[in-house]
Amino acid sequence: MARITIDPITRIEGHLRIDAVVEDGQVQKAWASGTMWRGIETIMRGRDPREAWLFAQRFCGVCTTVHAIASVRAVEDALGMEIPPNAQYIRNLILISHALHDHIVHFYHLSALDWVDVTTIPQADPGKASSIAESLSDWTGNSRQEMARVQKKVVGLLESGQLGIFANGYWGHPAMKLIPEVNLLALAHYLQALDFQRKANQVVGVLGGKTPHIQNLAVGGVMNAINLDSLATLNMDRLYMLKVLLDEVVPFVQQVYFPDACAIAGFYPEWFDIGAGVKNYLAVPDLPTDPASTTFDLPGGTIFDGNIESVRRISGARDDYFRQGVVEDVTHAWYKGRGPQHPWKGETDPDYTDFQDEGKYTWVKAPRFEGKPMQVGPLSNVLIGYALQHELTRKWTDLALARVSAIAQRPITIDKMQSTMGRYLARAIRAAVLSELALRHWQLLVSNISSGDSRTFSAPHFSKDPVEGVGVHEAPRGSLSHWVIVRDGILSNYQAVVPTTWNASPRDQHDVPGPYEAALLNNPVANPEKPLELLRTVHSFDPCMACAIHTLDVEGRTTATVKVL
Amino acid sequence: VTAAAEAQARIAVIGLGNVLLGDDGFGPFVIELLRAGWEFPEDVVLVDVGTPGLGLVTYLDNREKVILVDAVGATGYAGELRLYPNEDLQKMSLQPRVSPHDPAVQETLWITELAGCGPREVLLLGVIPESLDLGAGLSAPVRQAASAAAALVVSELAKGGTIAVPQPNPRIPDAWWMRKPHRGTFPALPDERRDTGTAPRS
Repeated sequence: MARITIDPITRIEGHLRIDAVVEDGQVQKAWASGTMWRGIETIMRGRDPREAWLFAQRFCGVCTTVHAIASVRAVEDALGMEIPPNAQYIRNLILISHALHDHIVHFYHLSALDWVDVTTIPQADPGKASSIAESLSDWTGNSRQEMARVQKKVVGLLESGQLGIFANGYWGHPAMKLIPEVNLLALAHYLQALDFQRKANQVVGVLGGKTPHIQNLAVGGVMNAINLDSLATLNMDRLYMLKVLLDEVVPFVQQVYFPDACAIAGFYPEWFDIGAGVKNYLAVPDLPTDPASTTFDLPGGTIFDGNIESVRRISGARDDYFRQGVVEDVTHAWYKGRGPQHPWKGETDPDYTDFQDEGKYTWVKAPRFEGKPMQVGPLSNVLIGYALQHELTRKWTDLALARVSAIAQRPITIDKMQSTMGRYLARAIRAAVLSELALRHWQLLVSNISSGDSRTFSAPHFSKDPVEGVGVHEAPRGSLSHWVIVRDGILSNYQAVVPTTWNASPRDQHDVPGPYEAALLNNPVANPEKPLELLRTVHSFDPCMACAIHTLDVEGRTTATVKVL
Repeated sequence: VTAAAEAQARIAVIGLGNVLLGDDGFGPFVIELLRAGWEFPEDVVLVDVGTPGLGLVTYLDNREKVILVDAVGATGYAGELRLYPNEDLQKMSLQPRVSPHDPAVQETLWITELAGCGPREVLLLGVIPESLDLGAGLSAPVRQAASAAAALVVSELAKGGTIAVPQPNPRIPDAWWMRKPHRGTFPALPDERRDTGTAPRS
C-alpha cells in the first residue's frame, strides 16, 4: 500500500493538495484539500455594493472577469434591477471570449502534456504528422514545413539537456500511448494556441478597457459609452475590430481545438471508463438575452445519479429550486459551524486543526444541492444542455461522439461522457458551442445599436431595508454564485460559492465524498512515484483554488512535492 | 492606455500579486506608485497583472525588456529588496501543475522562449514579505520598500536609456483596494437622481 501526496508549493501556500491511498495499482481512498484559508469574502463586509466587483475581481487572478460579473449580477438581483440589452450583450461577449481563452489554455498548456509525450517527437515523420492533421481538419497551419519547424525546435531543446518548460513531465510513462507524429502535431498546436488564446483575450480587453482586470462594469450595466461616430467610444471601428478577432478565434476552436480533443479522446478510449465520480450535475443558465435575465442562450439545470432523463431545468437566478437549494457543510473543513448553512446565512469562522484523515482536512467548504454533492463544469453544462435538447449542444456533442467513435473504433455514447475523458471532451464541445454564440452575440449587439439604442446603464437605487440577492455565472470551471445581503446601501454579508468549491468539496456530515475524491477512486496508478493518472483525472476538472497567492519561491526549495509514504 | 498600445510597447514593468493578501499586493502597489510619480515614454507599459498563471504570456512576449515586481519567498528580513536577473529565474525548479496558477513566471518565460517570442531581457525585483494574511494593505516595512522599489525601477530603465520624468506634482497612488470599508450610511450620489442611460465614470 502506498500513500501519495501531491502538494505543489510553488507559492508558499494556497493550493490544492491531493492525497490518495493506492493498493494493487488502484486508488482506494482519496482526499482533496485546499491548503489556504478562504475567508476572502470577509473583506467585502461593510463595502459599497457598487464597487464590490472590483474586489471580487481580485479573488483569483485566472478567473478575474467571472467574479466581477457574478458580483454585479448579485447586487442587481438584490435590487430587482433590469439592465439594458447592450449591457447584456457586451457582458456576454466578454464572458464568452474569456471562456474561449480559458478553455484553449486548459487544453493545450495546462493538460495536453499529460497525454502527449514530447520526448518521442524526434522520431516523428513530419510528412506523416501533416497528413494525419489534414485528415482531421482543414486548418491551414498543418503543413509539413510547419511540423518540421516545430520538430527542429524540440530536438534542439532535448539535445541541449535544458528541458525548460518540459522539465517536469512524466516522459516515457507507460500510460503515454500516442504515436510520435500525433505528439508532434499536438505540440505544433500547443505553440499556435498561444496566439489564439491571446486573441480571445484581446476581445475582453477591447470591451473591458483592460485585461486582466476589466474596468467597464457597473451595477446596472456597463460603462462603455456607445456612439457610432465618436472615436472615444464603442464605435463601428471597435465593433469591427472585435469581429476580426472573433473571425480568427472561432476557426481555431472549431478546426484545431475541437478536432484535437476528439483525436486525443479517440486514442485514449479507456479513459471513458475511468473517473466518473459524483454523477450529480449542476449548471446555471447563462448568456441572458433580455433585460430582466429571464431568457438565456445556455440552459441550466440538474441531473442526479447519472440519469440524463432526470434533468430538471433551472429557469434563472430567481428560480427557488436553485435559490433555496444550496447549502454549505463544514463538518470536514477548518471552520466552526453547526450543520449545513445557506450562503446568505453563511459564516466564515476558522477552526484550524492539522490534516486529519477522518476529521477536518481542508479550507474548502462542502457545498451541497438538495443535500447532494454536485459536479460542476463543462461536463455538467454539456450533459444538461444535451438532456434539455439545446440545439447547439446537441449538434457539437453528436459530432464529437461520432468522431471519437470513428477513431477509437468502438461506440462512445453520451453516457460514456461521465468520465475523466468525458470532462476533457465536454470542454471542447462547450468551446465549440460558445464559438458560435460569440458571433451571435456580436450580431445581437450590432443590430441593437444600429436600431438606435445606445443605452448601457440603469442607475441602481438602494433602500434602508435589507435585501438579498444571488448572482450566477456559468464560468469556465462551472457554476459560480455570489450571495449578497445589502442593508442600507452597504454589504452586510457576502459569500462566493465557486466552481472549485463544488468540485474540490471534502466529505460532508454523512461522510459522502466530493467530486475530486470520488473521481479518483479506482483510478489506475502504474507507478506511485509518477502518479500521471491521478493528475489526468484532477486536471480534467481544471481546478482553480480561488485566491492563489503569487509569491515566487526564488530559492527553489523543492521538497518532494509528490510524496509516497 | 488601450489594449492595443499595451501590446506594442517595447518595455513592460509588470506588478504581480494579490492585492487582497497583505504584502502579496506589493507588485500592484509599486505599479501605482510609478503611475502616480513619473511620466514614462510611450514605449513603456506599466501593468498590474494580479495573479495570472499562464495569462502572463500575453504581457511578456515580443518585449525587449521586462521588469517583474513581486513578493518573493527568500531568506532575509521583511522589506528587503532583491534583484534577480533572468539566469536566476531559469534556475528555479518546476512544480507539478495542478491548477492554472501553477505555470509561474519561469514556466511562462520558457513557453515564450520556445515559441520564439520571449523577452530579450528579464529582471525580477522582489521584496521579502512580512505577512501574506488576508487583508488589503501592506505592512510598514514593505510599504517603505515599495517607494525604494519604484525608484529602482526608474533607475534600471535609465540604464538602458529609457528616461522616466518625475511628475512635478505627484498624485496620490490609486491603491483603491486599501480603502477602508464604509461603516455608515451610504452617501447618495447625484447620478442616482436621474437615469441617464450612461454610467458615471468613477
